[in-house]
Amino acid sequence: MNPRAIRYGIDHPTLAYYRALVAEHGSPLLVISRQRLIAQYQTLQQYLPHVAFYYAIKAFPNADVIRILAEQGCHFDVASEGEIALLKAHRISGRHTIHTHPIKKDTDIRAALRGGSTTFVVDNLDELKKLIPYRQRVGVLLRVSFRSDSAAVDLSRKFGCNPADVPAIVREAQALDIHIRGLSFHVGSQSLDSATHVAAIHECARLIADCNRDSDNPMNVLDIGGGFPLDYADAQLDLDAYFAPIQTALTALPDDLHVIAEPGRFLVAPAVTGIATITGKARRGDYQWYYLDDWIYGSYSGQLFDHVHYPLQITRDASNLEAAILSGPTCDSIDIIAEDVLLPTLEEGDLVIGHMMGAYTAATATRFNSLSGAKILL
Amino acid sequence: MKDFHETLYDAVGQSYRIDKLYFEHKTEHQHLMIFHNAFLGRVMTLDGVVQTTERDEFIYHEMLAHVPLLAHGEAKRVLIIGGGDGGMLREVLKHQSVGHATLVEIDADVITMAKEYLPNHSAGAFDDPRAEIVIADGMDFVRDTAQRFDVIISDSTDPIGPGEVLFSDDFYAASRRLLNPGGVMVTQNGVPFFQIDEVINTQQRMGAQFADQTFYSAAVPTYYGGIMTFAWGSDNPALRTLDNATLQACYDAADLDTRYYTPEIHRAAFALPKYLSDALARAQQ
Ligand SMILES: Cc1ncc(COP(=O)(O)O)c(C=O)c1O
Repeated sequence: MNPRAIRYGIDHPTLAYYRALVAEHGSPLLVISRQRLIAQYQTLQQYLPHVAFYYAIKAFPNADVIRILAEQGCHFDVASEGEIALLKAHRISGRHTIHTHPIKKDTDIRAALRGGSTTFVVDNLDELKKLIPYRQRVGVLLRVSFRSDSAAVDLSRKFGCNPADVPAIVREAQALDIHIRGLSFHVGSQSLDSATHVAAIHECARLIADCNRDSDNPMNVLDIGGGFPLDYADAQLDLDAYFAPIQTALTALPDDLHVIAEPGRFLVAPAVTGIATITGKARRGDYQWYYLDDWIYGSYSGQLFDHVHYPLQITRDASNLEAAILSGPTCDSIDIIAEDVLLPTLEEGDLVIGHMMGAYTAATATRFNSLSGAKILL
Repeated sequence: MKDFHETLYDAVGQSYRIDKLYFEHKTEHQHLMIFHNAFLGRVMTLDGVVQTTERDEFIYHEMLAHVPLLAHGEAKRVLIIGGGDGGMLREVLKHQSVGHATLVEIDADVITMAKEYLPNHSAGAFDDPRAEIVIADGMDFVRDTAQRFDVIISDSTDPIGPGEVLFSDDFYAASRRLLNPGGVMVTQNGVPFFQIDEVINTQQRMGAQFADQTFYSAAVPTYYGGIMTFAWGSDNPALRTLDNATLQACYDAADLDTRYYTPEIHRAAFALPKYLSDALARAQQ
């Protein structure tokens, strides 16, 4: 998990803006920035030119985010019937989706087809065979596993076939008359080193070329997944250095190979800001405790499930710092937002701003204590 | 949205320009649209799939109604499952011999919407005193009704979707029980060039219920992919081998005004392309 970044102080116009939002909508809030979302999309386009993006809706399943990204020409990665329903509500055609959940029930496949999603990801023969009844309607991406040591969330342990098994599965698919359109992988989320990405691109390109050599129904898609990292630690993460080797690897691919990606975090995390309010304080032992109205079961759930510490901003300057704890309001001892941080003296009613809170925050919130969670605003 | 892209198949697909959107109904579970297209007239789509268009609906409705009705020769009671747009009812009621037609539609809103936005489909058929409209699940109706029919027409949506049960063993069996002796059942059965399994499944399931089961076909341009098949089931094999003269006499007697159907087309429609008859024969082995 990244070290906690704390930013002290805030400029007046920004504070006034946050206060006005809280006055109007209450607290806690998650505020989506349209501008920032579009900027992230464009940044990723610059880093990965010629790649078609399928936003992983699971990161922040929100109607405004979907609409704004769709306006930018982004496509969508769906994993469930609920996500397909979200797209339907926005008249986004299933043509612009891929269904990436590797394990499916028959009802999931049928719901996806009804939603117009016809490209499915599988990673083993049993899953492939579930598509037999629909073989004339579907295209398949075969997910390959590449383990990464540097990712915060390893996504290749649970899913993905061994690269060595690819040719046999492709042959079996041909025998079953199911078309495998290409290969996909996901190196893991918040992967800080692009080496696994690069190795996976090379290996998949080789596998595709090998399989295509004796195939009359060639593969032409490479799905490089998501996982693109963000600077949660305020540590001057060098994105140029991160993306450069991936760019080089992609440039070397044959022209007729379509490259797509499924970014979630990179697009949406910086576009959402959390606003919470201090609702109480207490002195306990060596620590000054502050209790917030957002919590580990709410927007901060990502600190548990997504293994990320969000940069927190305090509205007061860094003077007279003392050891403090920022806690959620629920009874549970795990409901701590920031342990052992140095803070100036804060008062009830102070805002605490959480930055980069778009990905896997509200998405994994629970309703523990019947608390209804942060309101989401655009 | 400027264009409608059909989402039936991963590798290919058709798209229509939406020249004016008349009606749209979105729920979590379905997305229904009626729009105008300069060439096709009004087009109805459900979940990304074209259901019917004003320009070519006559082919589908005439072939699914007149083939069984004229082959039967003296059908008095007809059951339509689905068909909430009213086009099938319109064609069925063109037959003066038909004294009663029951239309079973699962969703009352479909009928309301079709009357308003696709009025040319029903062309007043819903107001015909011979028509009875039942809002019910088609499967429940065929299981529970005490009525009997001479012809049953299943005018369903795709088997992937709300129409699924109308392609089941239970549905064919229950429908079979509702037929008077000499009765005929026909069903919409998809485009076999793209969906060969649908034909094979029906051959197995419907074939188990009827002494004589086969398919006939027509090309409906907006059901992309060449010919569409209609499944045919009856206990009287003679009904599908009637000669042209007999069919012509029935057609003349019925005094129908048709745009696709002719007695010659009727006979020829039972001839299946070889890729299809081969696939059916293979599946039977
Ligand atoms: C299949 C798949 N695609 C895409 C993503 C998005 O990954 P990220 O948010 O790291 O870009 C995930 C994340 O869990 C995933 O499982």
